[in-house]
Amino acid sequence: MLKETNMTDIFIAPKHAEKLQKSPAAHTAPHAPRIPHRYAGMSILSSFREHPKGIFFQNQKSDETILLFLRAHIITNFSWVIISVFLIILPTILLIVLPMFGVNIFSSLLVVRFGIVYVFFYYLLVFSYAFTNFLHWFYNVFIVTTDQIVDVDYSNIVVNHMAVTNISQIQDAKYTQTGFIATFFNFGNISVQTAGTEECFEESAVPKPKEAAQIIGSIIGKRQKFLK
Amino acid sequence: MDITNSLHLDLWIKIATLIIMVFYIVFTLVVFTQVKAMSQIVRIPQTEQVIKTIAIIHIILAISLFLFALVIL
Repeated sequence: MLKETNMTDIFIAPKHAEKLQKSPAAHTAPHAPRIPHRYAGMSILSSFREHPKGIFFQNQKSDETILLFLRAHIITNFSWVIISVFLIILPTILLIVLPMFGVNIFSSLLVVRFGIVYVFFYYLLVFSYAFTNFLHWFYNVFIVTTDQIVDVDYSNIVVNHMAVTNISQIQDAKYTQTGFIATFFNFGNISVQTAGTEECFEESAVPKPKEAAQIIGSIIGKRQKFLK
Repeated sequence: MDITNSLHLDLWIKIATLIIMVFYIVFTLVVFTQVKAMSQIVRIPQTEQVIKTIAIIHIILAISLFLFALVIL
């Protein structure tokens, strides 16, 4: 009788086969295109995403695929976040500092009543400031698809602008990266030049601008090869 | 100047405060309209509802504060 320990293994079933079956890609429909794991899913704070899933835009064709999704680098929100935090703690600072200068905040019931209302109103204004700044960042997007380039500008609360151009109209994609912070965090401005009198598409402070310009350049190149 | 000594001044401040709050409510409605419009232009389903909900809460808070001010002032 042979001992089990002496037996030679002729074939070992791959252990990672089970893991592959449990991977998210395995749960997708058989007809769905296989998307590399790094492209799958898109977080609310994504600024640079190739082949994003779960994002659509107005007038998107059924066979049109988004190749690149861009918005300003998350670090560009730093200034308004800091200002908001300061504004949040400002009433507390005043509450501590003013009595030191002999100012009695709670001098009468009427002042207290007005004070309560104004403090709540103040915090609502701070919230508005933060929320509108977030919306400004969130809805300023630049989308490159298989057919066109879409630039959505959300300047302020009452102005928004959407520009669309066909990929065939694009002539050139450039990027500029200036300053210490932009270089350190790797963000910059990207501009896409279109043919003739068409406007120039620009997006400010996008992450990995060089990579983004290269991707757009490769799309233009592929299209030109296809047309030849 | 002690504002408690002047009843008329109290009244004017209250009216001015309420008018400003009405404008603020209008502003919150504009924000909500813009959020709705923008979510149709750029559709990100996983975050759409969150942002709309925040905008609605913003309106509710503004209206609540107006009613609170109407009662308390």
